[in-house]
Amino acid sequence: VPSEIESTLNHISSHRNVRGVMVLSREGPIIRHTGAAFEGEHGRKYAGVIKKIVDACKHGFDETIEGGDDLKFLRIRTKKHEIMISPDERYILVVLQHPA
Amino acid sequence: MQERRRADLLAKRQKLEEMREMRKAREASRTNARQEEASNSSPRKGMKDIDDIIDSIRSPRGSSHGSTTMPGTPTLRPGESSPSGRASRASERSDRISVGYEGRSVNGSNLPPSGRVSRGSDTGSDTLGRGKFISPSEPAPDPPETAPISSGNLTEPTPISQVPERNESILPPLPKKPKVEFYNREVQTSTYETVPVGPTEAEIRQRIQAEVEAARVARERELEEENNQMAKEIEDEIRDLTEEERASIFSAPEFFEFFEQSSKIMQRALNDPYDYTRDYRIGTDGTSVDSEGKRVRELCAFHDERWTKNRSITDIDWSPKYPELTAASYNKNPTAINDPDGIVAIWNMHLVDRPEFVFHSQSDVLSVSFSPFHPNLVFGGTYSGQILLWDTRAKHLPILKSPLSAAGHTYPVYAMQMVGTQNAHNLITSSTDGMVCSWLVDMLAQPQETLELVHAGHNKTNEVAITTFDFPDNETATFWVGTEEGNVYQANRYDRAGSKAGLNQHDIYKGHSGPVTGLHFHPLVGPVDFSDIFLTSSVDWTVKLWKAKSIAKPSISVNIIPPIYSFEDADDYVYDVKWHPNHPAVFGSVDGSGRFDLWNLNIDTEVPIITTSVGSGRAINKLAWDRKDGRRAALGCSDGKLYIFDVGDVGVPRESEWVDLQKTMAGILSGGAGQSGLPGEQESRSLNSSVNGR
Repeated sequence: VPSEIESTLNHISSHRNVRGVMVLSREGPIIRHTGAAFEGEHGRKYAGVIKKIVDACKHGFDETIEGGDDLKFLRIRTKKHEIMISPDERYILVVLQHPA
Repeated sequence: MQERRRADLLAKRQKLEEMREMRKAREASRTNARQEEASNSSPRKGMKDIDDIIDSIRSPRGSSHGSTTMPGTPTLRPGESSPSGRASRASERSDRISVGYEGRSVNGSNLPPSGRVSRGSDTGSDTLGRGKFISPSEPAPDPPETAPISSGNLTEPTPISQVPERNESILPPLPKKPKVEFYNREVQTSTYETVPVGPTEAEIRQRIQAEVEAARVARERELEEENNQMAKEIEDEIRDLTEEERASIFSAPEFFEFFEQSSKIMQRALNDPYDYTRDYRIGTDGTSVDSEGKRVRELCAFHDERWTKNRSITDIDWSPKYPELTAASYNKNPTAINDPDGIVAIWNMHLVDRPEFVFHSQSDVLSVSFSPFHPNLVFGGTYSGQILLWDTRAKHLPILKSPLSAAGHTYPVYAMQMVGTQNAHNLITSSTDGMVCSWLVDMLAQPQETLELVHAGHNKTNEVAITTFDFPDNETATFWVGTEEGNVYQANRYDRAGSKAGLNQHDIYKGHSGPVTGLHFHPLVGPVDFSDIFLTSSVDWTVKLWKAKSIAKPSISVNIIPPIYSFEDADDYVYDVKWHPNHPAVFGSVDGSGRFDLWNLNIDTEVPIITTSVGSGRAINKLAWDRKDGRRAALGCSDGKLYIFDVGDVGVPRESEWVDLQKTMAGILSGGAGQSGLPGEQESRSLNSSVNGR
């Protein structure tokens, strides 16, 4: 892992509210993950769910909005967490934070 | 098992036959009439066909006799067991049975429903009988049950004869289930056509609905199964990548770009402290972050471990287009020899942890300036004399560089400024050898004009070592320079009537005893024009206020112009001084002990109204007010940190400030060429002075 990416990942992970960071490839496999929230099986489930969410949103926006629309950023606020998803053509960056 | 049943059945047959014969007699008239309608032979044929079917069923279905226990899921059966084989058989049976049932439909409309309720063994018996679906869901054909069943069959003469076989047919009820589906649709209509019976219709409909629903349920289950399978496949894909795949992904440039962009967005989102799902109805604890009106507080301190460590800030500029962006230029990091000597970092107030952009330079960058006419361009002047141009859309290397030749500068460029309008603008740069060059933005290959400032009349050297310069507002052809020896001179870019291009040899603004570190003209804002007043700061611990001599009346002889006021409050080198962009009487100064002083001339001219100690006590090199409303000040520290301070209401002028300043200036000027102004006026003002934050 190149050091710059590593250092940025560490920087994000060490933010005071962040519980986990994950980098996914669009098709699914996890490229890299840090943090307690995304460990092991749990992380895989998250990855599956997030992939579905991103695909569903992408399909939804591509078709429903006239002229098509690109998905840029997703911020899902649940009672306990906040998940921020930054999707791309090929990769997805996911950060789970505990809202202040 | 079957033999036992057969034996039982045989025993019962006789009884059944007797009972049926009795019924025959009863219904002879009825059934004869009905049978005449339909073909007499067809039921017989149907019966024979049914017998064949039953035989064929019996042989393969030895094991499934006892498994007819699913009344509620007739349709699943076909799905579970090999549907194709059964279907064909079922269709055959259904066809034949349908024929048979058609034949019998004469008797009653209960046939379709009976056939439909082919749950368990009753199918066989029910087919015979009418809508008497007595305990339909009995799978195993118990002998006692056959009795009641067959009693139902007694009503029909022809089926009764078939009872023995039928009882056996009770054994394999399952196959009838798939049949049920098919012949329901076929036979049902025919039976309705022939003998529509009220109550049974409802039952038929119910059963149809039940069947349909069962079919739907089955389909849903199939879909669910498919979904589960898909989910499993997806889960399989959420697998770990091999190391090679990882390495290949990481080395791809798209990944790097994606990561840069996404991580910036993510960090900006993380930085936002506002909780937008906040419920204001719930009471909170009483702590509220409230800015006290006059207090100066630190908003953030920008620094990056990777880039700004061990460097000092040399210049700051706010972006004219995006008020949250600040550019800071840095000098060399002596401990990191492989890193570029000079960098310019663009910081975003919303992204505190890392710079938005980092631009590299081969030599220390001493001055930086956003282009006011192109929001993407950033200019930098370096220690080597090169002028560099970066673009935020491009990468970290400059897109244009001036040559390292005698055409441009060969000495450090400590000051630069953009003058002109949108269509005709130039970048003016000055270096310590007295050269002032004017450049066109897109042509840095050579300067548009060069001007060498020389001071012929100087007793030691004619070179003018420019440390800083400034243009008054609305002036583009004449400017004032501060020098290393402490004098301030006026210079012209072009020849004018009465004065030549170059340094004005006659007017010397003499007052400082050390190099001039900062020079700033009063901004032209508000009803009163103070744009001939300027401030200078110097290494001699003072800040001095000057009134520029009008250029309309050029001097003929040497003229030494003293400052009109001197601010002596500092105990260290004063590195920069800047007027506030909105308030006419406020200015800020920074010194070498980390002090940030805010002065308000209308309140007190001797001491600053607020003094703040910034950072860890290291020297602050530069001060820049933000362009929009002057609420924030950027302070560049020599430890590489860029502090942003909020000054609150200090910078908000009242209507009377201009008039007040006029009075102040009058007072100052009338105090003579003095250093400290009128004592009387000072005292009266200091009585009224507000917070003196020393």
